[in-house]
Amino acid sequence: MRGWLLALALLAPTSAQAFEIERNFAGSAQLDYLMVPSTIEARGFTFDGFTTELAVKVAVDFTENFSANVKICYGCHGFETDMAFVDMRVADQLNFRVGRMNPSFGDFPLRHDPANHRANSKPLPYDMGRMLRLREWNMSVLPAPYVDNGLEANGTQWFGDDVQLDYAAYIMSGFKGQNDALDLDFIQSRSGSLYYVDNNSQPAFGGRAALTVNFSDYTSGTLGASGMYGHYDPAGELEYFVLGLDLYLRIDALVIRAEYLLRRTEYALGSDPSSRFRYAFEDPGRNFFIKDGFYAELEYPFAEWLEGYYRFDGMRRTGNVARTSPLSKTSGILRHTLGANIVVQPGLRLKVSMEHWDFSDFDDEFAIHTGITANF
Amino acid sequence: MTTKFSRYALWALLALGLGLGCVTGGSSRRGGLPPSTVAAYPQPVQAAYKLFAVKCSRCHTLSRPLNAAIYDYAHWANYVTRMRRHSGSGISPADGEEILVFLNYYADQNAPGTKTATTGAQQ
Repeated sequence: MRGWLLALALLAPTSAQAFEIERNFAGSAQLDYLMVPSTIEARGFTFDGFTTELAVKVAVDFTENFSANVKICYGCHGFETDMAFVDMRVADQLNFRVGRMNPSFGDFPLRHDPANHRANSKPLPYDMGRMLRLREWNMSVLPAPYVDNGLEANGTQWFGDDVQLDYAAYIMSGFKGQNDALDLDFIQSRSGSLYYVDNNSQPAFGGRAALTVNFSDYTSGTLGASGMYGHYDPAGELEYFVLGLDLYLRIDALVIRAEYLLRRTEYALGSDPSSRFRYAFEDPGRNFFIKDGFYAELEYPFAEWLEGYYRFDGMRRTGNVARTSPLSKTSGILRHTLGANIVVQPGLRLKVSMEHWDFSDFDDEFAIHTGITANF
Repeated sequence: MTTKFSRYALWALLALGLGLGCVTGGSSRRGGLPPSTVAAYPQPVQAAYKLFAVKCSRCHTLSRPLNAAIYDYAHWANYVTRMRRHSGSGISPADGEEILVFLNYYADQNAPGTKTATTGAQQ
C-alpha cells in the first residue's frame, strides 16, 4: 500500500507543477513589394514583385532551466522548420541546445525575422534570395537564416553588472553540395529532398564568442567573433570555412551595427579545368574562391511613429568562376539603403526603403521596397 | 542619368532625415508605450520601463512583449530569464529584476477585467 502511494505521488504531477509549464506564442508576417525602376526587365535578375514571409513560434518553459522552441516559417520556399530544439541549462554558463536550430553566428541571424529588423531586405552578407543578381552571385556569404541539425553548447558569464561574456560551440550537419560543385548548394542544404541528414558523415563545427559592455544604463556595446568549418560534398573533400566579426553600439536611442563576413570555399577542378572555368589557373593549387561582405547600419527613432535608418553594405567575390558566369575574377557590389518604418498601430509597421546598387560587372540599379510587417 | 539621380536622391533624403532628427530630438523615443501613459506610472516603474525599452528593443520590437498577454509573474520571470541568457543581451541579473518591475506592473494593469488597461504599444 505504501509503495503504491509512493508511486502515485511520483507519477502524478502536483497542480503547482502543472501550472509551471508556460507557453508563449509569437509570430510575424511581412508582405513586401520590390520594384526596380531603373530597368524594364528586372525579372531576369531578381524577384521583383510581392514576397511574403511568415513565422510562427511556440516557446515552452517547462522550468527555468528546461525549455523547448518550435518555429515554422513560410517564405519563397513554402513552409519550413526554422527551429525545433530543446534547451537544457545546467547554469547560466552552460546550456545544451539539441535539435534543429540557427547555429550561433554573428549578430544579424538573431534578428532575421522581418519584424525584428528595420530594413525590408537583409544585409548583403546575409541575403537569401532578395538581392539583385542573386543567381550570378549564388546569393550571399551566409544566407540567413542558416538552419541545421545538431548540438550547441552555449553560455553567458557576467562580471559585475557591466561586462558580459558569451560563448557558443556547436557541431552540425553542415552545408551540402555536389562532388563536382563550384559552390555550396543552398537549396540542397535546406531542402528535405535529399533528407535532412549529413551528406558526408563529417559534421561541420563552429562557434562564437562575444563581449558586451554596459557603459551606462542606456549606452552599451558588443564585439563578437564567429567561425565555422566543414566539408560540403558527399565525398567530403571540398572544404569551406566562414569567419565573422560583429559590432553593436547603442548610444541612448542611436543604434549602430556593423558586421564583416568572409567565406573561403573550395571547388572541384574536374578533369579539364580549362573547359570548366572562365579564367586560366595560374596556380592549380588555388581551387577555391573567397566571398566576403560587410554592412554598417544606423538606426534612429525620429518620433514615436517614425524610425529611420541608413545602411551601407557590400560584397566581393575573388577567384575563378564557371565558364558561363558573367562575373570577373574579382567582382564587387556596393549598396546604399535609406529607409523608414512608420508605426501604423501596435505591432503593425509600414516599411519603405530605397536602395542604390553599384555593381562592378553590371549596370547600376535603383530599387524601392514597400512592405507591411506585423508581429504578435 | 538614373544612377546619378538615384544617388543624389538618397543623399538628399539622408540629409533631410538627419535634419529632421536634429529638429525633433528623439533621444528617448524608443519606448513602445505613449509617453503620456508612461508618465502616469509610479517613478520606479517609469525608470524600469526605460530600461526595458532600451534592453528589449535590441533584438525585437517592443510590441512583442507588450502584446504578449502574459499576466503571471512567474511566467514573466522565466521569460525574462530566457531572454537575459541570449548572447549579447546586455541584460544583467540586476537589469532582469528591474525589467520585471515594469512587466509585473504592466501585467497587473492589463490583466483581463482590469479597468485601468494601458495597452497601446507604439512599436
